[in-house]
Amino acid sequence: MNENDDNRIDDELMSLAAKLNTPVKPDRDLWPEIERAIGAPVRPGRSVWNSVWAQAAAVVLLVGGSSGITYLAVHDGGDPTTPVGGTPALIFEPVSGSFGSQYNLGPDYQDARRDLAAKLDDELENLPPETRDVVDANLATIRHAIEDINKALAEDPDNVLLQELLLGTYRDELSLMNQVESITRTAMRRGDI
Amino acid sequence: MQLQSTAEIREPVGGIMPLAPDIAGDESRWVRMAQAADAGAFEKLYRAHVDRVYGLCLRMTGNPSEAEDCTQDAFIQAWNKLPRFRGDSSFGTWMHRVAVNTVLGRMRKSRREQDRIRTVSDVTPGPQTMADDGELRDLEQAINELPSGARHVFVLNAVYGYSHGETGEMLGIAEGTSKAQLSRARRLLAQQLKMESA
Repeated sequence: MNENDDNRIDDELMSLAAKLNTPVKPDRDLWPEIERAIGAPVRPGRSVWNSVWAQAAAVVLLVGGSSGITYLAVHDGGDPTTPVGGTPALIFEPVSGSFGSQYNLGPDYQDARRDLAAKLDDELENLPPETRDVVDANLATIRHAIEDINKALAEDPDNVLLQELLLGTYRDELSLMNQVESITRTAMRRGDI
Repeated sequence: MQLQSTAEIREPVGGIMPLAPDIAGDESRWVRMAQAADAGAFEKLYRAHVDRVYGLCLRMTGNPSEAEDCTQDAFIQAWNKLPRFRGDSSFGTWMHRVAVNTVLGRMRKSRREQDRIRTVSDVTPGPQTMADDGELRDLEQAINELPSGARHVFVLNAVYGYSHGETGEMLGIAEGTSKAQLSRARRLLAQQLKMESA
């Protein structure tokens, strides 16, 4: 077989392979199990309040168990470092005549959140895939909770309990992002030795 | 398993076939709604992309049941990661990457690859065969019998049209390794398909 034959075979193979780029329908509908797994959050007609409490409970559970994330990343002996600067004070600055997602948080918090969110993708790349999945799932739970609490606040803007809940959930989000930064810094430090 | 007609096959762009403009417009809206935790919008995204994601998982795993599990895992991962999707690429391309990571993660975790190699030859042709055309069916079967490294590179590069850079990035290997694996895959496929005697 000479070089021309090789080229012809390659061309033939690649052109045949490109024809396989077709969608394939699974034998069964995979959606119901996916829907169950993602917890089917807010549906039309469903009480926003039920969802808020369910989400708040989920956030409390995950924050209570968040040491698991640290364990996954540092179980070989290292201790996570304390984040530089820590979590800035959270202060609500309600916009006059507005509610829900229009609530603003203090400028220090907003700066910290923006910085951490921008770094998060890079930080996550440095984590083992299992840890990354846990962080992603926890962040998604917290952010879905923030959305739901905001929706409930839109219906009941003066509800102090909801305001507190929103504040606490933002704090949890920041704490989780801080934790990711702390873990990756520890991992990098160990890797440098 | 139902295949779309080969008459509908279009050239891949960035690894996947582009959506029609009206669907792409809807899709941006669905993505934004799903990012705000709207499961109904996410279901629409699922319906629009499941066949492409399942096709990729099937070709990478060679096992319909494993491909179903991978597809479900990929969409669950996508739901969790969606708040971080910034729209730098299309949702379809992003979803493909999530699916590839899911397949590789599951393979690493479960070490089912050896089982797959043993069972794939037992998979009967017919309803579980992806291509109707004889030549394509032979190629599907030959791809299934490739070693996993060569198979993954061949599927992403030759079937789905990703560049060696993109393929390497998705599989966590160097671009040169992707080229070497493709060359190996072509050689093995040509032998299996006995193309040299054609």
